[in-house]
Amino acid sequence: MAPAQSPAAPMPADRSMPPLLRSILGGLVVAVPVVVIGVLILWLAPPYQVRIAFAGYVNLVIVVGLQIFMGNANIGNFGHSAFVGVGAYFVAILATPLAAKKLSIPNAPFGLSQVVLDPIVAAVVALGIVGVLALLTGFIISRLSGIAASIVTLSLLIISHGVFINYTDLFKGAQAFFGIPVVIGLPTAIAVAVAAIVVARVFRDSQDGVQLRASADDVLAARAFGVDVVKLRFKAWVLSALVCGAAGIMYAYFMGAVIARAFFFQQVFLTLAMLILGGMRTVSGAVVGCAILSIGLEAIRSLESGATIMGVKLPEMLGLSGLSLGAVIVLGMAFRPNGLMGRLELDELAAGWLRRLRRS
Amino acid sequence: MLVVENLVVRYGPITAVRGVSIEVGAGETVALLGPNGAGKTSIVSAVIGLVPSTGRVSFDGRDVSNLSPEERVRAAMTVVPEGRRVFANLTVAENLRLGGFVRRRERDQDGERDRYLAMFPVLRERLDQLAGTLSGGEQQMLAIARAMMSKPRLLILDEPSLGLAPRIVARIFEHIVELKKSGITIVLVEQNMMQALAVADRAYVLSTGTIRHAGPAAELRADPRLADLAIGGH
Amino acid sequence: MDYAIQQIVNALAFGSEYALLALGLALVFSIMGLVNFAHGEIIAVAGYSVFFAVALGLQSVLGAVTIAIVMGIVTALVFERVAFRPVRYAPTTTGLLTAFGVSIVVQNMLTLFVSPKARAVPVLGPLNQTFFIGPYAVSSLQLLELAVTIVAIVALVLFLNRSLLGLAIRAAARDFSTVRLMGVKANRVIATGFALSGFLAGVVSVFILARRGSVEPDFGSAPVIKAFVACVLGGFGSLAGAAVGGMVLGFLDVAILVALPQKFGGLRDALTYFLVGVVLFWRPQGLLGRTVELGDKEV
Ligand SMILES: Nc1ncnc2c1ncn2[C@@H]1O[C@H](COP(=O)(O)OP(=O)(O)OP(=O)(O)O)[C@@H](O)[C@H]1O
Ligand SMILES: [Mg+2]
Repeated sequence: MAPAQSPAAPMPADRSMPPLLRSILGGLVVAVPVVVIGVLILWLAPPYQVRIAFAGYVNLVIVVGLQIFMGNANIGNFGHSAFVGVGAYFVAILATPLAAKKLSIPNAPFGLSQVVLDPIVAAVVALGIVGVLALLTGFIISRLSGIAASIVTLSLLIISHGVFINYTDLFKGAQAFFGIPVVIGLPTAIAVAVAAIVVARVFRDSQDGVQLRASADDVLAARAFGVDVVKLRFKAWVLSALVCGAAGIMYAYFMGAVIARAFFFQQVFLTLAMLILGGMRTVSGAVVGCAILSIGLEAIRSLESGATIMGVKLPEMLGLSGLSLGAVIVLGMAFRPNGLMGRLELDELAAGWLRRLRRS
Repeated sequence: MLVVENLVVRYGPITAVRGVSIEVGAGETVALLGPNGAGKTSIVSAVIGLVPSTGRVSFDGRDVSNLSPEERVRAAMTVVPEGRRVFANLTVAENLRLGGFVRRRERDQDGERDRYLAMFPVLRERLDQLAGTLSGGEQQMLAIARAMMSKPRLLILDEPSLGLAPRIVARIFEHIVELKKSGITIVLVEQNMMQALAVADRAYVLSTGTIRHAGPAAELRADPRLADLAIGGH
Repeated sequence: MDYAIQQIVNALAFGSEYALLALGLALVFSIMGLVNFAHGEIIAVAGYSVFFAVALGLQSVLGAVTIAIVMGIVTALVFERVAFRPVRYAPTTTGLLTAFGVSIVVQNMLTLFVSPKARAVPVLGPLNQTFFIGPYAVSSLQLLELAVTIVAIVALVLFLNRSLLGLAIRAAARDFSTVRLMGVKANRVIATGFALSGFLAGVVSVFILARRGSVEPDFGSAPVIKAFVACVLGGFGSLAGAAVGGMVLGFLDVAILVALPQKFGGLRDALTYFLVGVVLFWRPQGLLGRTVELGDKEV
C-alpha cells in the first residue's frame, strides 16, 4: 500500500518538490492531451472544423470552471452559464465598435452606446463585473447546502436569462448581438484552457481545496472541527465564476456575436453531463468528460444531418445526437457511478502505473 | 441451528472478517465478544445478508448464503441492529406493525403484540409517540419488541447495551434472559463481556476479524486472558 | 372583487398542478434520494400514448384517461428497472445525471420517431369547458384539477399512514437497510413508490393534454423544473411540503402575473425564481422541512 500522502505526487521522483510546483506540473500533465489535440486540429483541420473545435474549448473552460465549485464543494450547480453569459455580453457591450452599436443598442444606459474599449481592457472589466456578481451571489450560495443551494443556482440561471432577454436596451433581447471584434483564434483558446486547468488543479490541491473536499461530505462535523465551510465554498464559487466568465469572453471574441439562448439550459446540461460523466472529483475528469462528449457528439451530428456512408445516403435523423448523448449518460452512470476518472488525477494514475512498473 | 463456515467480509481493501466459523445450537444463547472494530457487526450483517461475504451461512440445515436479507428474515432469522435503528419518523405502534411485516397475512398479530407490550410496559404507554422521541433505553426495548413481532426462531442482538446507563443495561439483560427462557435461540453481540457471559451459555471472543477464544461461558469468565482483550488489546 | 376571486381560482388550479407534479418528485426523492428530472418524460410518454391511441381510433375520454394513467405507471416502472436501479446507492449527482440522461433519450426518441413538432390530441377537450357560477366564469378543468389534487393528496396520505406497505415506504425513506431487516422486499417498496409517482404523472398528463390539446417532445419537462422548485420550497422529501410548495408557487405565479406591469411580463419567471431564492435563503430547509442538527436522534 502506498502511504496516504503519495497521491499528490505527480511524478515518482518528485516527492521533494514544493507542493505548489507539484500541482502546477500535475495540471500541465493533465493539459497535455488538450494541447496535442488542439495542435493537430490547427494543423490538419479545415476552417469550419476549427470553429467547432473552438466551441469545444469554450466548453472545456466552462466544465473546468464548474469543477472548481461543484467538484470540491459537492453541490450541484446549474448557474454557471449565467457567468459565461455575463462575461460574453459585457465584452460585447464594451468592445463592439460604435457603428455596430448604433444598430444594436442605441439606447444603452450610462452612455454605454458611446463607449468603446480596447478588447483587452474590455475583457478585464467584464471579468471584474463577473467577479462582483460572483461575490454577491456567493454570499448567499455559500451559506446554503445541498439541494437548496442547487436551486438557488438554478434561480440564478433563470434570472440572468430573464434579464438578458428583457433588458433589451443593454443586451439586445432575444436576438443575437453582432459586431463584436474577432480578436482571438484557437491558439488563445488552447492557452486559456491550459491556464484554467492549472488554476483548477492548484485550487484542488491547495489547503482550501483539500479542506473543502473533506468537509463536503459532512458539513456539521467539519464545522465542529473548526473548518469554515462557508468561507471555503465562497472562494470556490468566486474562482469558478471567474473561469466561466473567461470562457464567455473567449466565446464572444471568437464568434463575433452572442445570443442569450446560448447561455441557457442546453449549455448547462451539456457541461454538467461532461463533468459528471468524466468524474467531478478531479480536474482530469472534467477534461476527459469534455473530450469524450465533444468528439462523440460531433461524430454523431454528422450522421444526424444525413451523412453518406460508403455511397449510401442516410436519411436525416433529427434527435439522434441527443438520443446518443442520453444513452451514453445513462450507461456511463450505471457502470461508473462516480464518473470515468474516479478519485485520482491523470498524472497521479500515471505515477502509480510507473511505480508499479518499476517494482515489477 | 445457525452454522457459519469460513466467513470472510471485505470492504474494498479492508478485510473486516477473516475466515470465521461459528455454530449455534437450537435453544442456545451464544455471545460474540470483542473490542471495537473486531468485526462483530460485520459478521452480523453478513449472516443476515446485508453485506456481501464469502463462506457459508446455513440456518436450520438450509444454505441461506445466496438469499436476500428479506428472505432470511422470512426464514425466521432476525437482527436487532446496532444502534437500535428504530424508525424515528413512525410511531411506536407503527414500528411494531412493520416488525410483523412477514406475518402480515396471519391473523393473530394482536396476540403477539400484546405479549411484548406486556413484557415492555413502557411501550404500551407510548404507542402513539414517535419512536425518535423515545429515550435510548426505550428505543432498545422497542427494537427488540419489533424484531420479535416476526416470531423469529433466531434472534441476533447487536450490542443492546450500546450507550445505555448501567441500570438500564441490567434491565435489558433481564429481558434477554426472559426471552431465552421462552426457548428462542439467541446470538448476543457485546463488548460488555462479563455481563454478556453471565447470560450466555457459550461464547466466541474475536479480535481483528478472527476468533481468538471459544468455549462455555463459565469457563471464559474465569479466563485471565480475557481481561486483556476486554480493554482493547490484541 | 370578482377579479380577485377569478385570480384565486386560477392560482388554485396552477397550484394544484404544481402540487401534483411536486408530489411525484417528492415521493421518489423521499424513498431513494433521487432527484427525478425524468418525471416530465413519464408525463410525455403518457401524453404520447394517448396521441397514438387516438391515431388508432380511440375517441372516449375515459379511455384516454385510463391509457394516460396506466402508461404513466408502466413508464415509471420501466425507468426504475432499466435506468435507476443500477444507480440506486450512487451519489445524488449520479442519479441526477441519469435522470437527465433518461429525459434526453426519451425527448429525442419522440423527436426522432414521432416528430419534433406539436401534434394535436383533441380527445380530452370535453374536460375543459367554461361555465358560470353566478357571475364567475369557471373552467371545468380548473375545478377538476383542484378536486383531483385534493383527493390524490388525501389518498396518498391515507395510503402512506395507514397501509402496511405505506408504512414500509415511509420507513424505507429514512433507513433502507433496517427496513430490509423487517423482511420487506426493498425492490418492491421502491417499485411501489415509482408506480405511485407514475400514477400522479399520468394524472398531470391528462390535465395538460386537456388544456393544451396537443403533445410535443418537451411536453412534460418544462413544468417539472417548476415542480422541482416547489419541492425545495416546501422542504425536499416532505410530501406535505411538496403540496404546500406547489400551492405557494401557483399563487406566486398568479400574483406576479397580476401585479407585474405588462412591460415587464417577460420577467415573470425571473421574479418567481428570485422570490424562491429569497425564501430559501431565509429557510434553507424549505417551508416545512426541518433542520438537521449534529447528533440529531432522527438521522
Ligand atoms: N461499510 C464499511 N466500509 C468500510 N469499512 C468498514 C465498513 N463497516 C465496517 N468497516 C470496518 O470493518 C472493521 C470491523 O467493523 P465492525 O463494525 O464489524 O466492528 P465491530 O466489532 O462491530 O465494532 P464495534 O464494537 O465498534 O461496533 C472496522 O475496521 C471498520 O472500520
Ligand atoms: Mg459493531
